[in-house]
Amino acid sequence: MKLEEKRSMIEKIVKRYPEKESAILPALYFVQSQDNNMLSEQDVKDVAQMLGVSESKTFGVATYYTMFNEKPVGKYHLQVDTNIPATLVGAEEIVAYLEKKLDIKVGETTPEGLFTLSTVEGLGSGGTSPTVQVNATYYERMTIEKVDKLIASLKSGEMPPKDVNYNYGTECGILFKNRDKVDSTSIKTYKSNGGYAALKKARDMKPEAVLAEVKDAGLRGRGGAGFPTGLKWSFLSKEDARPIYLICNADEGEPGTFKDREVMEHDPHLLIEGIAISAYAIGSEKAFIYIRGEFAWIANILETAIEEAVADHQIADLDIVVHRGAGSYICGEETALIESLEGKRGYPRLKPPFPANVGLYGCPTIVNNVETLACVPFIIENGATEFKKIGTENNYGPRLFSVSGHVNKPGVYEYPMGTPLKNILSAAGGVNGNLKAVIVGGLSNPVMRASEIEDLRLDFDSCINAGTMLGSAGIIVMNDAVSIPKIALRTAKFYANESCGECVPCREGTYSMVYYLDKLVSGNGTKEDLNALSYLCKNIRGLTLCPGGDAAVMPIEAMLNKFQKEFEALANHKLSQNKEGASYEYHD
Amino acid sequence: MVGLAAAFGSGAMTNPIEDIEKAEVILVTGSNTTKNHPVIASYIKRAVKFKGAKLIVVDPRKIPITRFATIWLRQNLGTDVVWINGMMHVIIQEKLYDEAYVKTRTVGLDELIKAVEKFTPEYVEHITGIPKEALVDAARLYAGASAASILYAMGITQHISGTDNVKSLANLAMLCGNMGIPGGGINPLRGQNNVQGACDMGALPNVYTGYQKVDDPAIRERMAKAWGVEPPSQPGLTITQMMDKALSGDIRALYIVGENPMVSDPDLNNVRKSLDSLEFLIVQDIFMTETAQMANVVLPSAAFAEKDGTFTNTERKIQRLRKALDPPGAAREDSDIICDLSSRMGYTMSYNSSLAVMEEIARITPSYCGINYERLERGGIFWPCTGTAHPGTPCLHMDQFTCGLGVFHATDYIPPAELPDEEFPLYLTTGRLLYQYHTGTMTMKSPGLNAIAPECFVEISPEDAKNYNVNDGELLRVTSRRGEIRAKARISEELKPGTIFIPFHYAEAAANMLTNSSLDPAAKIPEYKVCAVNVDTAI
Amino acid sequence: MNITIKDRELEVKEGQTVLQAARENGIYIPSLCYHDRTGPAGKCRVCVVEVEGMAGLHTSCSLEVSEGMKVITDSEKVLEAQKLVVNLLLSTGKHDCLSCEQNGICELQDVAYYLGIETPAFHMADVKPEIDDSSEFVYLDHSKCILCGRCIAGCNGTVVNEVLDFGYRGHEAKVICDNDVPMGHSSCVQCGECVQLCPTGAIIDKLRRGKGRPWETHKVQTTCGYCGVGCQIDLHIKDNEVIDITGKEGVGPNFGSLCVKGRYGYHFLNDPARLKTPLIRTNGSFREASWDEALDLVAKNLNRIKQESGPDAIGVFSSARITNEENYLMQKFARATIGTNNVDHCARL
Repeated sequence: MKLEEKRSMIEKIVKRYPEKESAILPALYFVQSQDNNMLSEQDVKDVAQMLGVSESKTFGVATYYTMFNEKPVGKYHLQVDTNIPATLVGAEEIVAYLEKKLDIKVGETTPEGLFTLSTVEGLGSGGTSPTVQVNATYYERMTIEKVDKLIASLKSGEMPPKDVNYNYGTECGILFKNRDKVDSTSIKTYKSNGGYAALKKARDMKPEAVLAEVKDAGLRGRGGAGFPTGLKWSFLSKEDARPIYLICNADEGEPGTFKDREVMEHDPHLLIEGIAISAYAIGSEKAFIYIRGEFAWIANILETAIEEAVADHQIADLDIVVHRGAGSYICGEETALIESLEGKRGYPRLKPPFPANVGLYGCPTIVNNVETLACVPFIIENGATEFKKIGTENNYGPRLFSVSGHVNKPGVYEYPMGTPLKNILSAAGGVNGNLKAVIVGGLSNPVMRASEIEDLRLDFDSCINAGTMLGSAGIIVMNDAVSIPKIALRTAKFYANESCGECVPCREGTYSMVYYLDKLVSGNGTKEDLNALSYLCKNIRGLTLCPGGDAAVMPIEAMLNKFQKEFEALANHKLSQNKEGASYEYHD
Repeated sequence: MVGLAAAFGSGAMTNPIEDIEKAEVILVTGSNTTKNHPVIASYIKRAVKFKGAKLIVVDPRKIPITRFATIWLRQNLGTDVVWINGMMHVIIQEKLYDEAYVKTRTVGLDELIKAVEKFTPEYVEHITGIPKEALVDAARLYAGASAASILYAMGITQHISGTDNVKSLANLAMLCGNMGIPGGGINPLRGQNNVQGACDMGALPNVYTGYQKVDDPAIRERMAKAWGVEPPSQPGLTITQMMDKALSGDIRALYIVGENPMVSDPDLNNVRKSLDSLEFLIVQDIFMTETAQMANVVLPSAAFAEKDGTFTNTERKIQRLRKALDPPGAAREDSDIICDLSSRMGYTMSYNSSLAVMEEIARITPSYCGINYERLERGGIFWPCTGTAHPGTPCLHMDQFTCGLGVFHATDYIPPAELPDEEFPLYLTTGRLLYQYHTGTMTMKSPGLNAIAPECFVEISPEDAKNYNVNDGELLRVTSRRGEIRAKARISEELKPGTIFIPFHYAEAAANMLTNSSLDPAAKIPEYKVCAVNVDTAI
Repeated sequence: MNITIKDRELEVKEGQTVLQAARENGIYIPSLCYHDRTGPAGKCRVCVVEVEGMAGLHTSCSLEVSEGMKVITDSEKVLEAQKLVVNLLLSTGKHDCLSCEQNGICELQDVAYYLGIETPAFHMADVKPEIDDSSEFVYLDHSKCILCGRCIAGCNGTVVNEVLDFGYRGHEAKVICDNDVPMGHSSCVQCGECVQLCPTGAIIDKLRRGKGRPWETHKVQTTCGYCGVGCQIDLHIKDNEVIDITGKEGVGPNFGSLCVKGRYGYHFLNDPARLKTPLIRTNGSFREASWDEALDLVAKNLNRIKQESGPDAIGVFSSARITNEENYLMQKFARATIGTNNVDHCARL
């Protein structure tokens, strides 16, 4: 493609954004797609020049995110998710098999240039693991046999069809009300089941009344922190001439969490209606859906749905832009997300000021999670009272639980807030093997021992009382074949890989934790190493610029405390000869 | 300076440098700011990047600051009066000017209106090559700002029409009410560390300190009293005039301090002849310059780090210079040499220190009256500073102009003195580099700076390179009616076809061998920025 | 507004940060990524303090003062956090002070000293020097870089040359020039802003290397001798020689920034070719002379020409490079001593 054609494409992209620089990620994606899936030095220069951004900044952005390839890759880039939920169900075996089959190591390309093999962090597919992403396409629920078929097909130049038989279940029928419909993504299906009625109803109300209803419903953010949504909205100043932005956080990156994609992939109009009502309530005319970069096909589904909604005059006064991230866990943090959307490296901001005052482009901004916004139509349509009938005190409404790891039917299950964990595990087909440990809120939260979950109810407050957090409700189930130190090492590696590098304790702290855990797991650790780990966990906590540091140390600190003997045994070299790493003697 | 003095009564940057970040619109013309005033360029870039200011750059070369410009107008060389009048034409036609300001603060609007009538956007496009739409946009942008600053440098003054160029800019600024307000003004960026101070101190043929006229009897009387001798009453000669008189034999001796006319002046062959004709040449400098080599007596002096005193910067701020080193060998401070020489000639000059000299300056100079070293210890002071309790004046012309009402001066287009023809078909424009300074006396002693900018070069557009069959890096011969030099070609997108650029720093390939010494009639500034040349690949 | 820091009651200005208030009152709170000109960045986390009645640790660089606030700078919690940061930096970088140019003025060294850290508490990572000496004037060692971002903030926010930025991520993050090319091959104009802002020995003046320890020099504030901007500079002097020039912080017009000539173009001062003695031309070549001889010769000739042809047969070129006082004397010399107004300088050239 000629430079001029590239320029005109990029100019088109630029038009979607209030500020030119925001187009940097889509522009980089575009030039990469035109250059054999690789970003050359010239590509970076071209984008910098076209967007009027410095070369160093453009290069800095390109190398911050994982989805840009500064080195050549094969025609088929095989990327295997090796995060914890995936390793629990055999991802490492898939990697080993691919290495053998293709006769290359991870990070290498086959001599004829057909395949490059990489391992990647969580792909938001913990419930459908193992996953092999081929270029932009996910192949989920992989087995060795399926890998054989996949490679054979790719060798013949064909991308095989995907297996999309994901497990799911619903007791509420609110967020999953269209989940089993044929053609569930179309506006026709959506409307035939009552869709967009809530939006119409909202438009007949005053914006303040809509906001009040959401506030009354006690809806709490589903992204992780559980902050009351209506309260967040009410932080916006009433008298402010600046435009207000609504951002839907669809960067689903917390390992063990894969629920937002269910909504977007199967019922995009539910999200769009939620966004439209919320935007109306807060007075926003421009909304963004910041979706994780790997969900390229879901971004397409959303864009199609937005086009439908526009054509159907549902969102005449609202412009919704789907913006793909490009591989960065930290961009799930709202200020990092805003920076990323502004076309920068995903560095979290110093707070205060908070986004409601100074957010996107320095304007008041509200960032809400997909699931949160998807709850809004129900609240408006049925009223706060109906919403509060679901769930427990102060923890109302339905919740999407992502269940991964050692259960028989990993998947996403819609249950009321406060449902006992045991019920969710049963819904997911029950534990596969003897339960050893569970993480209930996504990887960043303290692990629970089997003995601690007997009566655990899954709502924000109960989890806190039990010493953990509900977070994004990503439930990772581990049976007794699991080595906790190994899980701790993989956890530390994840956070070190994903540390943005902005602040010292997280950047160098996670790096050091990997060093010590690696030493321990490889049988060379000492008591001093364990002490250093504990010291790091204790002092990093609360010291970092964003919650990312706490996210890194909380799970590891809990593993160290709750499975102390396993670590001590390693430090004492007792188990260093046990290559299998399974069947630890230690049980609590 | 002459142009500004005519319009407002005094010629200097009207606003402080810090005001650049208060401007809504900044118009930069004839200044390659990032190269010649990097620190000021940072102010402009910050204003654009972080304060929302809009930048208009008018320059024939695609200089680096154009990257930050909202509008870049590329005029033909030597056509500045035309685009400036053209902007005013649009502003008057569209009634975008500041009527109240013009009414209360200025005189001469009717003449101006008449003068700019013919400068329609179409006419401007025809002469300057600036597309008429772009001119209109620039005019509207400039006029629409509540505070707009004009910054210019030698690219405006080094023309035979230099004074007219400056007067036109002054017209434009007054027309839109941009004088005497924070973030506004018209601001010449001075090239040398103390060029402002040298002017302020009366190192000019027609004025004493603080621009007090030598032909004003009352002032002369005051000087006579202070100095104990009667000074001459008629204005003297400028450098270029003195060079001519040297050639004709009317001037027999020159005492040159800290200047290197053998590289810096136009038409160097002529300069050499002039200096050769002198009976006695004294050069006082820190190095054996090209000029010093022609002297009868060379006097070694101290460099800036080796003496106490003050400099006045481009924004009229007087700041301290402090001695940090001893001069090498027997070298002496200039003041010391001058006083010693004067005393030997029969007129005693004796001062304990530079502080004592400043006391004398303050006594006889109204605008420096409040300056003393004690105050300067606490920071620089902007002149005019009319008393020791006066805080100084960062922004000039706040309530009224120095001369009362501001005067519009009708100007008309005068083409450059020399235009390309068959024999010399290309325009040559000269200028400076970031890594060298003036004639290189100081910078060429730095191995690092020389490594980055080792030698002269000829910048040529890709189109001309093709036409003249020139490869990048090839040795070129450049000839004008006055001389020739050789330097390597550097093909550059910065230039417009038909124009080449040569930095003037390098003595061994001195661009001023080529330049035209035609002078602006009022300011006596030579037309360095335009002459006609030919290029061919050197054999 | 009144607050208490480290048990000292202080009167502070509204809108100030705790760190600024502490500094103004001579109370040391360690900091690395904060600089007056680049502002709070929140990156190093070493300036944390505790505040009575507020949970947790707070970065004093970004925490605004409020009436009655009680700031604790030396609790165990604060010191442990600070030690963690410094220990992590020392163990993951290559911070050898022995021959480091920044020794004595290094902000990381200052914090380590304040906390009494002799040996880093953590395993020392195997870090090799990562030197980029491709630039004429700026010398980089990435292994001494703590990624505080001050150089980047200066390059983009102050001088707006937009050469530096962060590249890569996490522990791999580094300061890059353009597309991560060596500085000498990048679009860098070597203004040295990054050098001036670097708190450690990661970015230093190349010319200064090995020329003398900071404590062996003394500084003289003066005005730059190049263009008309009149930047305020500090000359660093050792043995009657300038070994470094830095921009004067906090003073206009440059507030610490300089250009490549002003910061690095000082070689000429000590150049062997400097004129050191008066010279008189005899028979076409120069010979050295005493001041008496030279000045008497000049005085004699000028007086003779004045007598023969009148004062206007003499011209004086003063200079835009010499001081106000000297220019004053030059024109006085022309007008009073000689008696001519033929005095000018190169303002026009």
